[in-house]
Amino acid sequence: MDKPKREAILDLSKYANERIRVKFTGGREVTGVLKGFDQLLNLVLDEVEENLQTESDADPKTRKLGLVVLRGPTITLLSPVDGFEEIANPFAQQE
Amino acid sequence: MATLQGYVDHRVLLILQDGRAIVGVMAGYDQKSNVVLSDSKERVYSVEEGVEEIPLGLYLVKGDQIVLIGELDEALDQSVDLSTIRAEPIPPIHY
Amino acid sequence: MLPLSLLNAAQNKPMLVELKNGETFNGHLVNCDNFMNITLREVYQTNADGDKFWKLKECYIRGSTIKYLRVPDTLLDAVKEEQNRAREAGRSARGAHVSGAGNRGGRGMLQRGRGAMRGGPIRGGRGRGRGM
Repeated sequence: MDKPKREAILDLSKYANERIRVKFTGGREVTGVLKGFDQLLNLVLDEVEENLQTESDADPKTRKLGLVVLRGPTITLLSPVDGFEEIANPFAQQE
Repeated sequence: MATLQGYVDHRVLLILQDGRAIVGVMAGYDQKSNVVLSDSKERVYSVEEGVEEIPLGLYLVKGDQIVLIGELDEALDQSVDLSTIRAEPIPPIHY
Repeated sequence: MLPLSLLNAAQNKPMLVELKNGETFNGHLVNCDNFMNITLREVYQTNADGDKFWKLKECYIRGSTIKYLRVPDTLLDAVKEEQNRAREAGRSARGAHVSGAGNRGGRGMLQRGRGAMRGGPIRGGRGRGRGM
């Protein structure tokens, strides 16, 4: 349990120039190509697309935002787009 | 000074901000009131049927989600027949 | 036992995380920090309504957005065992010294104040778990 306290638990350099998905407090969600980041998890993403209209079966609408700086404090979730897919219920027998 | 130390290893009732009521043994806590609850069960109250108890196991609940922690009087709690209780569930708490 | 101790002991174990927005994430814990930020791998994400599912290779979740975590029941005993063992080892190493600090090891640990700000720079003032 002797982790260096200052090191982030997520090494963002492995996502450099890869597309990642970021969610924010308030419910917004974007994907973009990671160009830069800092310890506070502020991010620079390029070719950003905001995913509008979650929880609806209609075709997901997006809007393009281009080059964006995302503020770390409002980020709630981060994951690579590679390996991200929608699936059927994986919990065959619930409860 | 108000501290949770007195509740450690006792059965407690936790009420969360979303209205959930969870009972369990408080195995630990910290300064932010994050709580470790073991052998926990969620009690779902309803006006039509008796209380449904869903076993949940080992839980780590974030302090900022906790509204109330109450020490259960175990003898009193055991004597209550949950199937006879009718009550409206607590709605989510909004600030 | 401290919640963070339990979490640290849960590395590589499966767990369920529910976020404040109701979404749930089932996966194995890779890492965690003092703000309870976590990274998970092999994750199954479910939306708040419970009717949509996604699979993620890995993800990072902000501690401040977590509502609760469900961990394997066996973890509690495993951690207590380890703390006892560590305490026994400490006791025998120190001989018969009456050591107040040592005995408080089970609860006090290092964290006396808030979230273990070990003299680092101000981390953006976030991660206190206070509101979103």
